[in-house]
Amino acid sequence: MARVIVMDLSRHNTVMIGHDRYFVLHEGERSVLVRDHCPHRGGPLSLARRTPDGRRLSCPWHGTKVGVSAVKRSCLPMVRSGDEAVVVLPETGVPVSVIHKEILANLPPDPTHDEGAESR
Amino acid sequence: MTTVTEAVAASAAGLVPAGPVAPGLVTTSMAPTEAAASALAAYCSQRIFRPGPEVLIEGNPFRRPIGPPGAGDRDFSVPATEAEFLGSGQLIAGRVLCNAYESDMILLPPAGLASAKDDFEVFYGDEVRALRDAVRPGLERYAYSFLDDAVTVPPVRTLEELQAYFLAEVGGAGAPADASGSNPAVDPAAEVTGTMRMITECRRPEEAAALHLIQLALDALTEASAMARNLGGSYGVEQSELFKIFNDEFGYGVYGAKHSTIFKEMLASVGLRTDVHAYWNFYLTSSLVGVNYFNWLTEDHRGMFRYMAAVTYLEWLFAQGFADTGAMLRAVYGDRVDAKYCDEHAHIDVHHGRMTYENLLLGLARTHGELVIPELVRGIEDTKLLLRLGDADFRAQIDWADALDRHTEAGAALATSAADDAATSTLRPDSPFSTGVYDSDRLVEVTSGEADVYAWATDHPHRLGTGDVLLVPRGRLHGLKAASPEARVTVRTVERTSR
Ligand code: FES
Repeated sequence: MARVIVMDLSRHNTVMIGHDRYFVLHEGERSVLVRDHCPHRGGPLSLARRTPDGRRLSCPWHGTKVGVSAVKRSCLPMVRSGDEAVVVLPETGVPVSVIHKEILANLPPDPTHDEGAESR
Repeated sequence: MTTVTEAVAASAAGLVPAGPVAPGLVTTSMAPTEAAASALAAYCSQRIFRPGPEVLIEGNPFRRPIGPPGAGDRDFSVPATEAEFLGSGQLIAGRVLCNAYESDMILLPPAGLASAKDDFEVFYGDEVRALRDAVRPGLERYAYSFLDDAVTVPPVRTLEELQAYFLAEVGGAGAPADASGSNPAVDPAAEVTGTMRMITECRRPEEAAALHLIQLALDALTEASAMARNLGGSYGVEQSELFKIFNDEFGYGVYGAKHSTIFKEMLASVGLRTDVHAYWNFYLTSSLVGVNYFNWLTEDHRGMFRYMAAVTYLEWLFAQGFADTGAMLRAVYGDRVDAKYCDEHAHIDVHHGRMTYENLLLGLARTHGELVIPELVRGIEDTKLLLRLGDADFRAQIDWADALDRHTEAGAALATSAADDAATSTLRPDSPFSTGVYDSDRLVEVTSGEADVYAWATDHPHRLGTGDVLLVPRGRLHGLKAASPEARVTVRTVERTSR
């Protein structure tokens, strides 16, 4: 049986599911709960800044640019109504908690970001 | 393609003409006082620093023989010159300094503290720490002063000059930047050349490769511990940038991913011991000086700029350098070697090269300006020299260790021309074993019994019988062990006209 939690998005933006962390990423009007994990080596994408075009997140660890669309593919099912969001969690017995963290990935693109230096 | 080691040796890609030596922020310390000299003798005579009968020191990170009795009585008041880089003074100073620096790291025996509790107490105890602090400044001056004379710092002053200088240097060392100005991805198919190739081509490639791994082990089994000294404090964005690199080195807090852990797996895969300093007797002088240099610069915080630049240069070169090392190991050991450590560095040091260059080297230059740029350049120039000297030392050791039979023939041919200064000793199987180097060429003659020569860490040492005479070139590391209940050995100086 799936586990379901209800999050108050005015207070919480991060879910810990065992050792896995998910954060609320804002995409225009939409919000998605995505895995806070860079595909390179697990860097915290919640602390990534957007590239100037806003379409990629530049990982704070080694600068890999991860497309926002790829990040969204890691999302958990979430239905939002106002500040209330119903999230369907994977079926595991690990402890779950909701917290509030700083999420740089939701800030506007970093104007000082040097596009050339880190693109690989 | 040119290998990193080879290219480093040949690198003369200074963008600007050499100028006068810039005054550094870190300087070698004061000359040793009389009190320091007696502290050194007391330090070296500590139980844990005296040799025992064993060739390999297993399971005990606190046992670190410095040399035969009397090693600590030597006069270190006059700094070693570059010509004396491989001399016995540098070897002894190198061992003492290594002990000194590592006594502020946490080391525990793999079988549990109970297996070496008494030595733990001595190594970290008040007396040894007080003696260590008394001897260290004088030995640092002895060991590193030659860099002040041997290294010419090009007059790089501005950020732009620093950028151009660095990119020219890494380009000249065989690792040019890619089109975006970054450390390019490695070429895993690059042909193995230089020292790595020399290892594959010598008569005993497995022993030569092991000697190379042992030199790396001096640092790799405590990897990034020197870096850890630069993590504390408060110095701006560069501190956080260094932490990211440290985080990688420490495997993000996952023991199995820690670089020292995967280094151990590499050692174990080829049958080598994984305990810290099991091969203490087989660290070359240049390896000790090189690793100590980084510990010195992180211990004396005035050295942080020089350190950051040195790390930048190395991280940039390591990407391809470790790809080459992995290729060498696979050529020597075949499928049985677990070279993940090399693959890991070939991958992550591409990032680290770029991160250190952009965020540490240029970051510090941007923030602190022309006051520190000469010091940053000095760190790179010091590192280039130490790499070149280290490479030459390693190659010479392979040449010697791989040809002890020929050196025995040469010894026999030279026997009549030896000086009349024989020093005789008697060895028994349980006599203290210690490796050392001579400051001039010597002939070692076994006048009775049999003795084994260890010039690298091998299960098959070279056996000398009664009447055999071995030529030991100056600066070559070796140790003797009795292979009969008693062996008498005579050592004499010899002048060679050709080398
Ligand atoms: S972990 Fe994200 S770039 Fe390496």
